[in-house]
Amino acid sequence: MSFITFEDIVREYRIGDSVIKAVDGVNFDILEGTFNVILGQSGAGKTTVLNLLGGMDTATSGKITVGGEEVSKMSERQLTTYRRNMIGFVFQFYNLVPNLTALENVQLAKEICRNPLDPKEMLERVGLGQRMHNFPAQMSGGEQQRVSIARALAKNPQIILCDEPTGALDSETGRIVLKLIKDIARDMNKTVIVVTHNAPVADMANCVISMKDGKVKKIKKNDVPKEVEEIVW
Amino acid sequence: MVKGALFKKSIRDIKESLSQFISIFLMATIAISILVGLDSMGATMDTHSKEMYQSTHLSDIWVSIINPTEKDMWKLGSTRGIEKAEKRFTTNVLTNLQDKPTLKLYTTSEKSTLDIPYITQGTVAGIGGAVLDESFAKAHNLQIGDSISIEINDRWMDFEIDALALSSEHIFSIKDATTLQPNPEKYGFIIVNEEKIKEAYGGKKIYNQIAVKFTENVDEKQVMKKIDAALGKSLIGITTKKDSRSVGDVNGRIEQFKTLATVFPNMFFLVTALITLSTMSRLVEDQRNQIGTLKALGYSKRSIVWHYTSYGVYVGLLGALAGIVVGPNLIGKTLITQMQSLYVMHSYKIMLNMPRAIIGTLLIVACTAGVACYSCLKMQGEMPAVLLRNKQPKKGNHIFLERLPFIWNKMKFSHKLIARNTIRNKGRMLMSIFGVMGCTGLILGALTLDDTVRGIGKTMYGETYTYDHTAILDTKTTDKDIYNLHIKGVTQSMEETGMQVVAKNGERRMVRVTVLTKESPLVHLQDGEGRPVTVPDGGATITRKLAEVLGVSKGQTIQIKRIDESYEELEIKQIVHMVSGQGIYITKAFWESLGEVYQPTSLLIKWQSKDISLLDSDYIQTYVSVETQREGFEGNLSIIFIATIMLITFGGVLAFVVLYNLSILNFFERIRDLATLKVLGFYKQEIRALVFVENIVSATLGIFAGIPLGGAVANIIIKGFGENLDLVSKLTRNNILMAGGITFIFVIIVNVIVEQKIKTIDMLQALKSVE
Repeated sequence: MSFITFEDIVREYRIGDSVIKAVDGVNFDILEGTFNVILGQSGAGKTTVLNLLGGMDTATSGKITVGGEEVSKMSERQLTTYRRNMIGFVFQFYNLVPNLTALENVQLAKEICRNPLDPKEMLERVGLGQRMHNFPAQMSGGEQQRVSIARALAKNPQIILCDEPTGALDSETGRIVLKLIKDIARDMNKTVIVVTHNAPVADMANCVISMKDGKVKKIKKNDVPKEVEEIVW
Repeated sequence: MVKGALFKKSIRDIKESLSQFISIFLMATIAISILVGLDSMGATMDTHSKEMYQSTHLSDIWVSIINPTEKDMWKLGSTRGIEKAEKRFTTNVLTNLQDKPTLKLYTTSEKSTLDIPYITQGTVAGIGGAVLDESFAKAHNLQIGDSISIEINDRWMDFEIDALALSSEHIFSIKDATTLQPNPEKYGFIIVNEEKIKEAYGGKKIYNQIAVKFTENVDEKQVMKKIDAALGKSLIGITTKKDSRSVGDVNGRIEQFKTLATVFPNMFFLVTALITLSTMSRLVEDQRNQIGTLKALGYSKRSIVWHYTSYGVYVGLLGALAGIVVGPNLIGKTLITQMQSLYVMHSYKIMLNMPRAIIGTLLIVACTAGVACYSCLKMQGEMPAVLLRNKQPKKGNHIFLERLPFIWNKMKFSHKLIARNTIRNKGRMLMSIFGVMGCTGLILGALTLDDTVRGIGKTMYGETYTYDHTAILDTKTTDKDIYNLHIKGVTQSMEETGMQVVAKNGERRMVRVTVLTKESPLVHLQDGEGRPVTVPDGGATITRKLAEVLGVSKGQTIQIKRIDESYEELEIKQIVHMVSGQGIYITKAFWESLGEVYQPTSLLIKWQSKDISLLDSDYIQTYVSVETQREGFEGNLSIIFIATIMLITFGGVLAFVVLYNLSILNFFERIRDLATLKVLGFYKQEIRALVFVENIVSATLGIFAGIPLGGAVANIIIKGFGENLDLVSKLTRNNILMAGGITFIFVIIVNVIVEQKIKTIDMLQALKSVE
């Protein structure tokens, strides 16, 4: 029984007179509690898929269901509620609020959802127990990304969406961040979807969806995903 | 070529932040137009009144004395410091026109060279002709060649109107302190030949005034002392130019414009500088990379600094120029129509005070360009390589409030965020507080002013005086005669005379001295705090404004000049507050103890059963109802109305521009934060609240700060109303609520507009790019 389904999803953007299909008839299923990677070059439409799934954008046509609910039919307000309770987001550029400390950034997420997890625990979990009261400007990129992961987790969402989470990090730090995401997700039984153009990352996923020109090229299931330590890029 | 490319960049940059640069431009325009507008009004009045004084040879003082002897004239003529002294006769006369309006009559002779009329039409022909007040003639539809009857010394005489004229003594033409505004239907002047007036006085020439012109640069007080000594007992008093209602009021108004032109624009200067600061800091920050690129390309530090400074120069200069055009044309023209109904002058051509306009322009350009230069200088220390690299996220800072855990820990996150943001953007916060403060202050000032002026009539003819009718008694009427009128109700008689008062410091005025009976049921005096007081025996009770003008206080003494007697030294026993009609009060008993005879001049009546016919008596010259008096007193207050509207408009623009800027800047600066919050699942209204709470906070602070400012604004304007009025502005709760409310409505309108703008922005886009 799939947790997330995309059926014939199309997303068009109108720029002036021309219509660009960022996503053109995408179909896939994702099982609960799995680690998934959407792989593709820039412009392949992977971020659009992630935004549609995260309720930050609406499809032109097609049907998206998450946990039996039809996300593609939701109103803007319902989408916000859906984001609140279901989705945790990790961005390439972290997007922490510079004016809040690490702890406060995490608490910010906690403040708005139904069953939040303890922010301090989450920060300890990502290894930042000592740096809770630092502002983002006082932290390295990897640390900031870890705060952002803690923030996503603190909401206790069902799904964690990561848009190029390692894009702005060096490979060593990137690996640590990925491992963190994967381990925590497994421990807490979260469904994770990572968007990346970094092919080796795909080896650590249960399922890899490759995209090109707005279409799904290939869906590959890894019965035995590799550990992060085994991956080289 | 180099300059060309950068210039194009400036133009395009300005286009991109158009609304902010328009704001700077607007503020600069307003600042300069208020400065130049008000200043040009002052200059206009100053120039044209002086022209009139010069061309009509206005005297410096007028010495009141009954039929001065040749010896008196000789004495004055030979006093050092006096250039010229001429006799004339002046009195108020009734005319035969509808409602029997009063004319101030002056006599003249062929030899007269002082206080001559400014003839606008016709020429002075013969002895039987008259020169009539042009405004009065217009109001009564009189033409040259018409005749007019006036009553002099109980005798009606006809004069043919030879010429129409203006007079330096009637630029501001009001009869006495019972009116605030000139009304040419009721009052004017007429100038006739002294030979003709002889007829009314048994063939003898009559004089009661000596017009005196000083030589240049004399100590006027000293000369007046000499005149006093020379004339001795026969002197009644000396009226100075300042004393003269017309000159005094005109000078007061000129001063008022000067004060306003100095005080008001400052607020706008300040706000202009702050808006420029926030706009330019943001612009320079945004163009960090571009500055790096320019540096890398080899542009010198100087040309880059000039590039950014030039934004301020262009906008400030354009704003100032617009202000110089708009100020005199809009503010000046609006006010001048009002001024024309108050002041009668030969010309109303608007004069520009160029030096002040230039100084104002330099100041505003210094504000905008200086600030622009400062914002980009901060970035000049950095190496191009550093500038080209992406900037680290802005530093967060712990703030003071966090040290108070009992408050901080209870705050919501959004509120913590707001608190930190506010502290971080102190300049911007300050700008919006100043803006809102200015707005509330101007509106509150306007409302208070309106209230205060509208309250004068009620205070005078409702609290101070509680009669229904007042009558001017015939000379020689006694209290017994009044009793015999059998008026049913409360009556009170009093004596009012004009007397010279001299303070220890030499300051002198012709003032109204009122002699009150012991019981004063219809005249209620109040002290400065509004407590009712009675007039004590044994000294003078003096009104506060007069005390201020003379520079005396309670316990000190003043001298009053008794007619045909020498000066009498009186102790100031009490100071009272009188809205209008400053003067001195003494008791009947004290008056008589000085050796004077109490001779009532007016009668106040509060009817029990009204019977006006009783007032048509030989003992009574004229009578008037309190309603009529109140109407005439208040007249038409449109000038206050115009001032109110102008202040409120400026306040509104100020608030609008400032808040709009603040909101837009806040929004763009935090677009990433807000997008993050949106993705996290914050609802729209929660995000909106985040942006606007800051606005609301600064608006609230600004409103509170604006309350004292409102009082100050009202006081500054009220101060300029001249020596006759003693107004006390009071900030009422209603006005405070109203001003705060109006300001708040502006705040909300701005928020709605900004919200529309926010809707058009794609938040997702904001998340992708790096700041």
